[in-house]
Amino acid sequence: MNSDSDDPNMPEINAITADRLTKVYRDNIRAVDGISFSVKQGEIFGLLGPNGAGKTTTIKMIITLTKATSGTLHVLGVDVFKSPETVREMLGYVPQSISVDTDLTAYENLLIFSKLSYVDKMERNERIKDALEYMDLSSRAHDIVKRYSGGMMRRLEIAQALVNRPKILLLDEPSIGLDPSSKKQVWKNIKQLNQEFGVTILITTHDMNEADELCNRIAIMSEGKIAILGTPEELKRNVGGDIVTVNLTSVPSIMSLPKEIGRIINRNEKSIQILTTNGEEAIPLMADFFRGHEIRVESISINKANLDDVFMKYAKRRLEDDMYKATRITRRDFVRRAR
Amino acid sequence: MNIRRFLSSSITIAEMEARKIRHDSTELWTRIIQPALWLLVFGETLNTIRAMPSGNFSYIQFITPGILAQSVLFISIFYGITVVWEKDVGIFTKLLSTPSPRSSIVLGKSLAAGIRGVFQAIMIFALALIIGVKIRFDPLDIAGVFVVVILFAMCFSSFSMFLASYLKTRDRMMGIGQALTMPLFFASNAIYPIAVMPIWLQYISIANPLSYVVDAIRSMLLSGAYGNLLVDILVLLVATVIFLTLASTTIKKLLE
Ligand SMILES: Nc1ncnc2c1ncn2[C@@H]1O[C@H](COP(=O)(O)OP(=O)(O)O)[C@@H](O)[C@H]1O
Ligand SMILES: [Mg+2]
Repeated sequence: MNSDSDDPNMPEINAITADRLTKVYRDNIRAVDGISFSVKQGEIFGLLGPNGAGKTTTIKMIITLTKATSGTLHVLGVDVFKSPETVREMLGYVPQSISVDTDLTAYENLLIFSKLSYVDKMERNERIKDALEYMDLSSRAHDIVKRYSGGMMRRLEIAQALVNRPKILLLDEPSIGLDPSSKKQVWKNIKQLNQEFGVTILITTHDMNEADELCNRIAIMSEGKIAILGTPEELKRNVGGDIVTVNLTSVPSIMSLPKEIGRIINRNEKSIQILTTNGEEAIPLMADFFRGHEIRVESISINKANLDDVFMKYAKRRLEDDMYKATRITRRDFVRRAR
Repeated sequence: MNIRRFLSSSITIAEMEARKIRHDSTELWTRIIQPALWLLVFGETLNTIRAMPSGNFSYIQFITPGILAQSVLFISIFYGITVVWEKDVGIFTKLLSTPSPRSSIVLGKSLAAGIRGVFQAIMIFALALIIGVKIRFDPLDIAGVFVVVILFAMCFSSFSMFLASYLKTRDRMMGIGQALTMPLFFASNAIYPIAVMPIWLQYISIANPLSYVVDAIRSMLLSGAYGNLLVDILVLLVATVIFLTLASTTIKKLLE
């Protein structure tokens, strides 16, 4: 599962390749413990895991904010440890806590950081104008960012990525602490960045819905290691698949299903539960099957396998706790910054 | 490292600071209060009792360059706090994640300290004019004072950023700033001539960059005797380059 075989039809180099990457902090804390993975160009890759799993540390090593203890790391073929400045030029980074300068206006934030990223002078102003419009910030462009909401600040950070147009964007928990509608908006923006501008995205999150919604592939991290890596579908299959519940007028005592439909895992007087790899595809087959056997179906419902199940299986710590804590930490961040 | 990019990033960092000052300049104005008190209260009082051998000049003339240097020292020595604050709110992380070389961030910040220093100098000149302190308002000398003030602000702000790389918290920076400024100030020729100090203090004051700064400003604003000016500026220049280089190599430790 962990090995990422290279597709021979895609001779492209990987956007990011990590090999036995390790970070040991003081007191022998193994924050990242020999992880290997690669992010392909053009994909959205998710690092999913509870707090303390080592996601942020991994991102910080890629953006050269902290040095790896051992292992290798390449960004588009360039050695991160040997050529940090070249690597940073290809990367955009949105840290976990809000990092826009609240004492400047939105326009100034975009201007200053585009200059520091060496965006071409001729294109700069056009891009800033477009990005502000795109992120729905035009009307407040010349307001001091201090007066923005958390969601607006996040959008401004994504606008920075739009102006600087990095080849690869690193997003550390981009929707943490946002209300549901701002979260949806941020998700939409992330997808647009990926689809319209072809930006490769590495995103970390502890939110399975987010990972499921956004990512082409996911690595689940736990205690510094990658527990499992694959597409969301592969991971879900790994925990068994969807459960379809069929309510019948009466359940025949003896009945076996063809293999391609699924396996009966539970039955009682009026309903049976069937485990199947893909619920939506299995339902028509089931309907046909029951009709063929002249059994009347009253209703069918699916319980899709979700990444929660996967997460629970592979990440050791309890999730709800973490989500709660994480949200609170960010809230405090916002409060502090709102002064 | 590409020199053009290095310089352009440094200027951008300074521009960032300048824009912030433009949005909220309260701090800049409050910085004039302390030097004003020194000149008006301390200076005027000692001027009238004539207790200090200030040579051919009145005492208040004598300390004006000293007070200017002191107030620039105050601005610069606390620059590390700004950087620590920016680290705490995540801006610094963002700066370090851009392709700009880290040394340009240090140089840019120190240039910004220079801008504040020049503003401070202008206000002290205005104050001197208002209370009638006689100084030579020769355009070349004024320009020279600005150069010295900028260098001095760069020197101590990078020294402060160097300390911040290791101390990492605002409280510690506050403490060390306070612990450093007063000794530096009193162990210099800012408010009394070196000749009246006890011998041991004279040695310290010779190793104190502040003495060279005060000496340079004094020669330009008061005496017009440039005998030591070259040495003064050279010492300052060397100290500035050393601290800029040190801070540039250590600043990334701030995040660890
Ligand atoms: N600067 C640091 N010094 C020491 N330990 C750290 C530091 N940063 C993170 N850690 C530790 O490393 C582990 C991984 O942290 P992190 O990468 O922030 O996890 P995540 O982003 O997945 O929540 C945690 O145990 C954390 O306490
Ligand atoms: Mg994290």
